[in-house]
This record gives sequence, structure tokens and C-alpha cells, in this order.
Amino acid sequence: MLEVKNLHKKFGSVEILKGIHFHINKGEVVAVLGSSGSGKTTLLRCLSFLEKADHGEIIFDDFHKDITQIRPKEIRQLRMKMGFVFQNYNLFRNKTAFQNVMEGLRIAQKVPEPQAKEIAVNTLKKVGMLERSDYYPDQLSGGQQQRVAIARAIALSPKVILFDEPTSALDPELTGEVLDVMKMLAREGTTMVVVTHEMGFAQEVANRIIFMDGGRIAADQPSKEFFTSPQDENIKRFLRRTLADYDYTI
Amino acid sequence: MSERLLDILLSSFPKLLLACLRATIPLTVIIFAVSLVLGFLLALVQIMDIKGLKRFARIYIWIFRGTPLLVQLYIIFFGLPSIGITLDAFPAAVIAFSLNNAAYNSETIRSAILSVPQGQTEAGYMVGLNYRQIMMRIVLPQAARVAFPTLSNSVISLTKDTSLVASITVVELFKTAQRIASVYFEPFALYCEAALIYLLLNTLLTFLQSYLEKKLVWKPVERTKHFTKAA
Repeated sequence: MLEVKNLHKKFGSVEILKGIHFHINKGEVVAVLGSSGSGKTTLLRCLSFLEKADHGEIIFDDFHKDITQIRPKEIRQLRMKMGFVFQNYNLFRNKTAFQNVMEGLRIAQKVPEPQAKEIAVNTLKKVGMLERSDYYPDQLSGGQQQRVAIARAIALSPKVILFDEPTSALDPELTGEVLDVMKMLAREGTTMVVVTHEMGFAQEVANRIIFMDGGRIAADQPSKEFFTSPQDENIKRFLRRTLADYDYTI
Repeated sequence: MSERLLDILLSSFPKLLLACLRATIPLTVIIFAVSLVLGFLLALVQIMDIKGLKRFARIYIWIFRGTPLLVQLYIIFFGLPSIGITLDAFPAAVIAFSLNNAAYNSETIRSAILSVPQGQTEAGYMVGLNYRQIMMRIVLPQAARVAFPTLSNSVISLTKDTSLVASITVVELFKTAQRIASVYFEPFALYCEAALIYLLLNTLLTFLQSYLEKKLVWKPVERTKHFTKAA
């Protein structure tokens, strides 16, 4: 459904992405793992055009184009099909939880008021935030903000949701409520790309693991295989390190 | 206090107040409005990175912040006639002050806009808004809150700085005080009286500022209209 080919990205002279081939099929949950600086977040930001890639092709359903030649209007159309959940939530600070969810529905998608309200209420209910509809982001905990941010993304019925380390900014005791919402979405068949450090989530929920190392995809395997028979030394080392942490927190 | 002095102070009070209402306050209001619009435009061309205009804005701000207001006032009122542009004192004052204040306001507004995290804009794009919608609905409302105290500050400065235009013959509050003082040879009393009126005016403005600041804060929770509707 969504695919990039030969994606390159440099920041100054530092090459962050060195030719990425990535695809995701409808209904898949792909976890993108790798140590810091391996290019995970940059990959997600290039997919959503928040960073301008230097080179590559993008394919979304029947849309196929050189990623550097893409027009602003096409970017908007593609973004309409994507949801994005940020590491630090990025809820609109001047709007309530409810208004945050309404914004894209009313202003971008021009959904009529009554239907938009119904969608907003339903999605907030789904993430368990309906009681806090009229709170401003400042008045919510990190976990609550992230759940509203997820509601804001799913309200627009995107074909795929990109999660950029959705729990990394949260206190450990608040990650659970966000991961639970994400698990629920996964069960419902939502197509998701999740950049994460949550090994538990990756193991339990993802169908497929992409392991990034030094700007390249070092492994692209079904989740079970990845964890039971890691392909090379780097992955083994990564797993030893992160799974040790994971065991430790349990 | 002698009875004569008291009489002078009492009889000049309405004259000073009238000068304040007729000249000082209108000057302040007009200058602030014009310099706010100009300052906003100067900030916007820099934020939007419009090539030639951005450069123009930087040079403009460099010149108008880097030279004294009084000198700018003299150039426009006394200097321009020698190249064939003659202005009345009031419009000359409005032009000089507006151009000067715009330079400062643009920096206030620009930094307020830049203080809104990039993530707000990115989130706007990802829910499908375009640049204009993001600016109008997300960034500028947040920037307004940041800019407000500084802009209030500049209004308060402005009311006092308008006394400079006395030097180019605009009969405002301070010029009126000067005239009365020279008639009665009572500079100390009259200038103190003028100072008092400036103080009164700015006291009112300070109240207005704190009232508006409270209005500008995103409202605290009003429980819970959407919730009750949905339940």
C-alpha cells in the first residue's frame, strides 16, 4: 500500500538514510527498531514529508512519483491518507482536546459540524478521553495528551498511521495506557508503522520488524523470526541490550 | 502651597487633560495601530522567508532601531521640506513614530511567532491544514499571547514618548504644560502636573493590560459541554 524506494537523506554532510527500501501492506503493524541515530525517525519524517528527502520514490496505492519532484498539493493529498503521532504529542495548545480532534475534520476535510462532532466524540470515547474533552493540553498528563493525539489522528480515518516513538516522552507508568490504545488499534486491523523502543510492544503486537542500523535496513523479518533467530551480530547485540532492559523493568 | 499656585494648577488641569484627550491619546492610538500592522508585515516577510522583502525588513529594522527617535522626527519634519516634502506637524509625528515603533514591534512579533514550537506547525500539516490555516488558527493565536505583554509595554512607552513631538510644535499634553509654565513662570509645578497626568493615563493602561491578559489565557475548564451532550 505504502512504499518507498531507494530513499536518501543527508543533514549537512551527515548521511542519515543511505538508500532505504520500505513497504507496508494494508492491515500490517510494522515496528521500526534500531539504536538512536540509526535513521528511524528520519525515515518516518521523510514518509510524511516533514523532511524533504534528497532522493527516492514514493508509492501510495496507485500514486507513484519521484519523491523530490512531488508538488505541495500532492503532499497534502498524501498526508490526508496518513495519520502521524508525534513523540511529544504536539496537541494544539490553544485548543481543547475536543477542538484538537475537530480541527482536521472541520477545516481540512470539511466534514459538516454534526457529523464531525459525532466522530470526535466517538474517537475520544475510544481512547478513553471523552471525560476530558474540554481540557486544554496543559491540563492533561503526557499519557492523556498522547491518547488525544491518537484520537486526532484516527478521527481523520487515515489509511496508515505513523507513530514516532509515541511513548518515549512519557513517564514509565504512563506508557501502558498509550500502548493499550495502540494494541486496540492493531486488533482492529489498523495499518501502523511504529518507531519504538518498546520491545514488548514490538514482540507482542507487530507482525513485522524492520531493524535499522547506520541508515540502512539491516533486517526486515516477521516479528517472531526476528526475536527468535536474529540474523547478525549487530542485531544480537541490540537485542541483548534492549531485552535485558525489558526484563529488568519487569 | 500658595493660593496662587493652587489656582494655576487647578485651572490648568482641564487644559492639560484636554490636550491629553485631543492629542496625546489620539497620537498613541493611531501610532500603535499603524505600527502594529507594519510591524506584523515586517515580521511576516521574515518568517515566510520572502527573498527581497526579508532583506528589506532587516535593513529597515537596522536603521530605525539604530538611530534616535528624536533625530528621525527632526529629519521628517524639518529635513524633508528641503527636498520638497513638507508635512504638517501632526502627520509628521505619526509617520516618524509609526515607522520607528514598527521596527520594534516587528521584532516582538517575530520572536513571538518563533516561540511557537515547530511541532505545532507539523501537527497542523499532518491533520491536513495548509500554511495559511496553520498560521491563522494555530500559530498566531499562540504567538499573540506571547507578544501581548511586550506590546503592552511598548504602548506604555509610546504614551510617554509622544511628549517628544512637543519639539516639532504639536500641541499635546507636554507642549501645553510648557506654554502654561512659561506664562506663569512655574515650571516645577506644571511639569509635575503633566507627569501626574501621564501617570494616570498609564495606570489606566496597566489595568487594561492585566484585564486583557486574563482574557487572553486559554480558558480554564468549563465542565463539560461536549461530555454532557454525548452522554
